[in-house]
Amino acid sequence: MIDLLGRLGRWTREQIAAALQVSVLIVETIVWLVIAPIRGRGFRWRSAVEHVVEFGVRSLPIVGMICFLIGVIIALQASYTLDQFGANRYIADLVAVSALRELAPLMTAIIIAGRCGSAITAEIGTMKVNEELDALQVMGVNPVKYLVAPKFLAMVTAVPAVTAISMFIMIIGGWASAVFVVGVEPVVYVSQTVGSIVEKDLVTGLIKSVFFGVAICWVGVYRGFQVEGGAEGVGLKTTASVVTSIFLIIIVDLGFTVLFYYL
Amino acid sequence: MSDSKSVIVVEDLEVAYGERVVLESINFEVRAGEIFVILGGSGSGKTTLLRNLVGLMRPRSGRILIGGQDFTAMSSDERMEMRRKMGMCFQGSALLGSLSVADNVALPLREHTKLEESTIDIMTRIKLELVGLGGVEDYLPSELSGGMRKRAGVARAMAMDPEFIFYDEPSAGLDPIVAAGLDQLIRTMQSTFNLTSVVVTHEMESVKIIADRVCVLHKGRVVGIGSLDELERSEHPYVRQFFARLPDDLNEIDSAYARSLTAID
Repeated sequence: MIDLLGRLGRWTREQIAAALQVSVLIVETIVWLVIAPIRGRGFRWRSAVEHVVEFGVRSLPIVGMICFLIGVIIALQASYTLDQFGANRYIADLVAVSALRELAPLMTAIIIAGRCGSAITAEIGTMKVNEELDALQVMGVNPVKYLVAPKFLAMVTAVPAVTAISMFIMIIGGWASAVFVVGVEPVVYVSQTVGSIVEKDLVTGLIKSVFFGVAICWVGVYRGFQVEGGAEGVGLKTTASVVTSIFLIIIVDLGFTVLFYYL
Repeated sequence: MSDSKSVIVVEDLEVAYGERVVLESINFEVRAGEIFVILGGSGSGKTTLLRNLVGLMRPRSGRILIGGQDFTAMSSDERMEMRRKMGMCFQGSALLGSLSVADNVALPLREHTKLEESTIDIMTRIKLELVGLGGVEDYLPSELSGGMRKRAGVARAMAMDPEFIFYDEPSAGLDPIVAAGLDQLIRTMQSTFNLTSVVVTHEMESVKIIADRVCVLHKGRVVGIGSLDELERSEHPYVRQFFARLPDDLNEIDSAYARSLTAID
């Protein structure tokens, strides 16, 4: 019993310490992103743009392909039920609402977490192991300013941008299978889609995606700074980064879904 | 040299990892323009001491005065400002792997000055020529040999024309010829720019070439300090053992305990 309480106490202490470290990281990032540039202490815009290309543009092919296929799948699955009622035209409504409110933001975030969140952890972790973070500090260069702030800005820009494109691609996927496999009239599908989308669907999806980007970046960075030891440490934290990111993405998704349900 | 004023002063320094004290009662002074070597065996605490000197760790107690200012009591911003006067060469060179050699050397200039890119380019080439690395500007650190990486590390440390330069095990892992070349480079930097240099090493051959004064660390304490000649006459058993390159007395190891660690009956 005492052993169990001891373990619980240690776990609680570790979680509080982790929460404090993340809080410090969040405050420092905001300072270097917002306050420092106003005071003329510079921001690495070029690095931020390069990261937008890495996180956004280079993620587009895989995100686009997966979202297209999911659009195809949803339309076919919907047809399985709707066909019995002669309501195949409503496939368009189902695909559009699912894509905008839920699936496109979620799938985009999960793919970017796997692709870029892990890369952030591996990069910072390797730099820590190789004393490159220490070298930055000794040169008087703040690692949060140099490494984190540009990545953060890039992530909260790239994730919503890719999400917006993936929403469109998922609808195209639904259109393709509904038209070519199920036999829905192309024009009917388009008019049903346009008629079913409301502004709130798009806005809720994009707002969620911004917070998904925040979660992916901070988890990636935090896990990177946590790396200890050599290559094995980098591998362990990179895996932990992806798992934690996906878990947080689902939690954030749940939070926003409950919030928007009541709004 | 003895008339020079002290520019780095360490007073009653105590450093601990959690409850484990790794450095205690550390007191020494580094004089302007000298090469001060911190010498000691593995686990003696010399790298920990160096990390405290450059502000990568905070001591549990004691003070480090650099240029008359208490480095340990400075705010984060003040420390960052002070670090512009410092350069450090890491054991593994710690060049940023994603940047070319030239970009590594240019990094502090880009971060701390408003110089034109063309000026930074010229200054970078000068620093690289200075350490004998002209022509490798566009190489990535992974494309260089160990000795070249260390030289590039020196060029980066020199980028902001520092007053103080710190070297962590500069000749570790290098063949004798390359190591001798680095020793010569450390001497050249000190004599050309009148740099105050602090070198952490355990290589006696390097110490004989570069050291003006030496501080010997053993089990987290200073056991000898002075010129090489003075230390060679030291009566302290560890200093004598280190300079004579004698092994620990194997009889002191509990043979029964040693056997218990193996499968030997």
